[in-house]
Amino acid sequence: MAAATVTSRASERSGRVLAPGGDTWKRHIVRQLKYRDQNQHAMFQDLIRFYTQLLDKSSLTKGILNLSARRPCSDSNSLSAVLQQKNQLKKTTGELAYQVVELQQQIKIKECVLEEQSVRLQEEQQQLSCSSDTHQLLQKQVNQGQQENRLLEMTYDDLLERQREAESRLREEKLKEGHLLEDMIHLKRQAAARMNSRNERKSRAREANLQKKLLSGARSEVTVDSSSAPTSRSTSPEKENQIEWTERQHTRLFRSSSATSLGIITSIRGLFHKKRRGHSVCSLDEDLMCPVGTCVSARVPVRALQVLEAHDQSINTVRFSSSSDLVATGGTDRVIKVWDIRAGSLTHTATLEGSNEGITCVEFDPTGSRVLAASYDKSALLWRLDDSIPKLTLTGHSRKVTAARFSGFLHHVVTGSADRTIRLWDLHRAACVQVVEVSSFCSDLVCSENCIISGHYDSKIRVWDTRAVNCVQEFPAQGKVTSLDLSSDHRQLLSCCRDDCLQLVDLRRGSNERLCFRADGFTCGSDSTKAVISPDSCFIAAGSADCSVYIWNVSSGDLETRLPDHHSSSISAVSWSLSGKYVVSVDKSRRAVLWSDM
Amino acid sequence: MADDKDVLRDVWFGRIPTCFTLNQDEATEREAEPYYLLLPRVSYLTLVTDKVKKHFLKVMKAEDVGEMWFEYEGTPLKWHNPIGVLFDLHAFNTVLPWSITVHFKNFPDRDLLHCLSNTVVEAHFMSSIKEADALKHKSQVINDMQKKDHKQLWMGLQNDKFDQFWAMNRKLMEYPTEEEGFRYIPFRIYQTMSDRPFIQKLFRPVSPEGKVHTLGTLLKEMYPVALPNDGEQKLYQVVIHGIEPLLETPVQWLSEHLSHPDNFLHICIIPVPTE
Repeated sequence: MAAATVTSRASERSGRVLAPGGDTWKRHIVRQLKYRDQNQHAMFQDLIRFYTQLLDKSSLTKGILNLSARRPCSDSNSLSAVLQQKNQLKKTTGELAYQVVELQQQIKIKECVLEEQSVRLQEEQQQLSCSSDTHQLLQKQVNQGQQENRLLEMTYDDLLERQREAESRLREEKLKEGHLLEDMIHLKRQAAARMNSRNERKSRAREANLQKKLLSGARSEVTVDSSSAPTSRSTSPEKENQIEWTERQHTRLFRSSSATSLGIITSIRGLFHKKRRGHSVCSLDEDLMCPVGTCVSARVPVRALQVLEAHDQSINTVRFSSSSDLVATGGTDRVIKVWDIRAGSLTHTATLEGSNEGITCVEFDPTGSRVLAASYDKSALLWRLDDSIPKLTLTGHSRKVTAARFSGFLHHVVTGSADRTIRLWDLHRAACVQVVEVSSFCSDLVCSENCIISGHYDSKIRVWDTRAVNCVQEFPAQGKVTSLDLSSDHRQLLSCCRDDCLQLVDLRRGSNERLCFRADGFTCGSDSTKAVISPDSCFIAAGSADCSVYIWNVSSGDLETRLPDHHSSSISAVSWSLSGKYVVSVDKSRRAVLWSDM
Repeated sequence: MADDKDVLRDVWFGRIPTCFTLNQDEATEREAEPYYLLLPRVSYLTLVTDKVKKHFLKVMKAEDVGEMWFEYEGTPLKWHNPIGVLFDLHAFNTVLPWSITVHFKNFPDRDLLHCLSNTVVEAHFMSSIKEADALKHKSQVINDMQKKDHKQLWMGLQNDKFDQFWAMNRKLMEYPTEEEGFRYIPFRIYQTMSDRPFIQKLFRPVSPEGKVHTLGTLLKEMYPVALPNDGEQKLYQVVIHGIEPLLETPVQWLSEHLSHPDNFLHICIIPVPTE
């Protein structure tokens, strides 16, 4: 009957759940399973359990019943036998009791032993746990160590790899170096060969030139009526010097000496200069040469003979040679250009290279064969005119060198630098022989006999004794000193300051005469603007920031002339030829202007 | 899915209340009491009847004891079919408890296999699992398992440990995500009316057109008689684990959830009882 109800309900259900979609089949299955379990499992579970229990119990009772049924068979015994049994039992009981006591004692002993052993066991266990702890700790350390080792190994490998790389790179670089060295040696060899051939050519040309000059000299002997004219080569240079000196004294006495005689003198001097130039630059006889001073009447320039773009960048400095036929200009473009002026215009004759930075100051030596320059690259350089590579490089300053001048002794050079030192160099040894520490930036310096005069940014002009190396005199200036110039008789010092004032100081002992020169429109364009005194000490000239050259008359103190128009930017330097004929001014916009009175 | 897990549990823990009685012809010292037991549907008769044997041996004469076998209303019960299948097939619409007669002699060699120890059952069980996996995964899963995994399956069944069994069986029920289901569904259709032991053919869970196959499609192909014609009285019941699932139930889901531990879906088709 139960089964029938099951099926009927099941079919009823299956009919009903068809309607809703989705997982109806699954819900159906779940429901049916629950229903099945309820009918087949839950209903019978307890029943069957109880039945089994009852079955067990009944079998147990059956067993007991069997036993009790067997017992009544063993009765009807005699009393004596029972008593005997009882006695025996008592005896055995006693024995057993004794045994029990003994055993109990034994048990006690055993317990003691057991306790001891358990205590020992505990101790052992403690020790064990301790040692296992330490073991773990050590294991941990070992692990850590291994890890560290692994790390180190890795870094080691890494380093090894890097070393290998670096070594290979080194090998490559060495190979490259070898190649470069070879190339360089090759190039050097070529350069040397070229130089040799050029030198040879030059010396040959010079000899030919000399021959020609000698011939012309022999001819000119006829026109000039002079008893001691140089006719033969055998005449010693000392003697020539004496002649020159006499000539020079002569011209100094008579300022109005004719231009033709001057031309002859310079041509003769040129002759000897050429001859001397053949010797080594620092030969003894050269050093003994006194500075050449020609003092003619300077003529105030009135017009520009030539305007040219002299350098690739701004020009910082310009200087005439003492023979007045060469001009050197130095610029920010790192080269010095030498110009010949004899034809009445600037003709480019040489370019002196070798400075690593711009040129700040340039000067010819009194013989006109060497050029000294100061450079931004913290050095001073010395060239021979016939060689474009510097003969000497004087290094030692720690900042830019602002001024470099030949001192009274020809083989000495003095330099001033932005590193607040003035250094004295020996050209023979190519070494710095003296360092003078000043408290201020040195902007320019000039050398007289036994003394150096330096201008500084602290608005002071200091006079140093070269023998004792101490400051013997200090003049105040109105502002930062930008340049200094010494008159050819070494009596007057011109200083140019940033306050747009030129100051002329009389250096003679006891005299404190100071003249100031100003002009409307005159402004000092930079910290290195260079002003000059004319060779006859009658005029002073300076370039202004307004692109004009200003010339003052010393004796009147007034502005003599203003030369405008040819420059396009601030004028950085002016130089007056010793012959008095020419003035050259240079500016920041690469331009050089040659002025003259013609 | 919580529902699916519940279904698995219900299937595993399905029980049939059974009354074992000793055959009248057996020679006994005294009268034997019947023995009642809740038989697990998913297990095998010889695996769970140790207690029955012990109970009846108490009253048996030792010399008369042969191999134990079971019979229900004249039909010897094949121990190699799961208990649930035997019940559903032979006694589905009868009154509970299921009454089984126990024999100790006259073993019907023609109808039954001998089973002298549990290793025979294990061998039979494992071979079924392997056959099912051959159908489902070309044997790949079962071959990838180790010996101890096989043992775990068997021990799970033997000791009635659901979690232990399913931890391993789960792998057998997986299929590649890119496919719709198993390669073939391992199923067996039993019926009482035929001499054939069961119907077993290759059957895919999804049609070539991608349509999901249901219990209805399976029966239509394998045993169309079992399906009711329109408007006619239902003639057959389709029973799995003592329930009648709806015909629209997907075969793949049935295979995954209503399979016996041997991984086969055992379907019984029995005639609707006439009043």
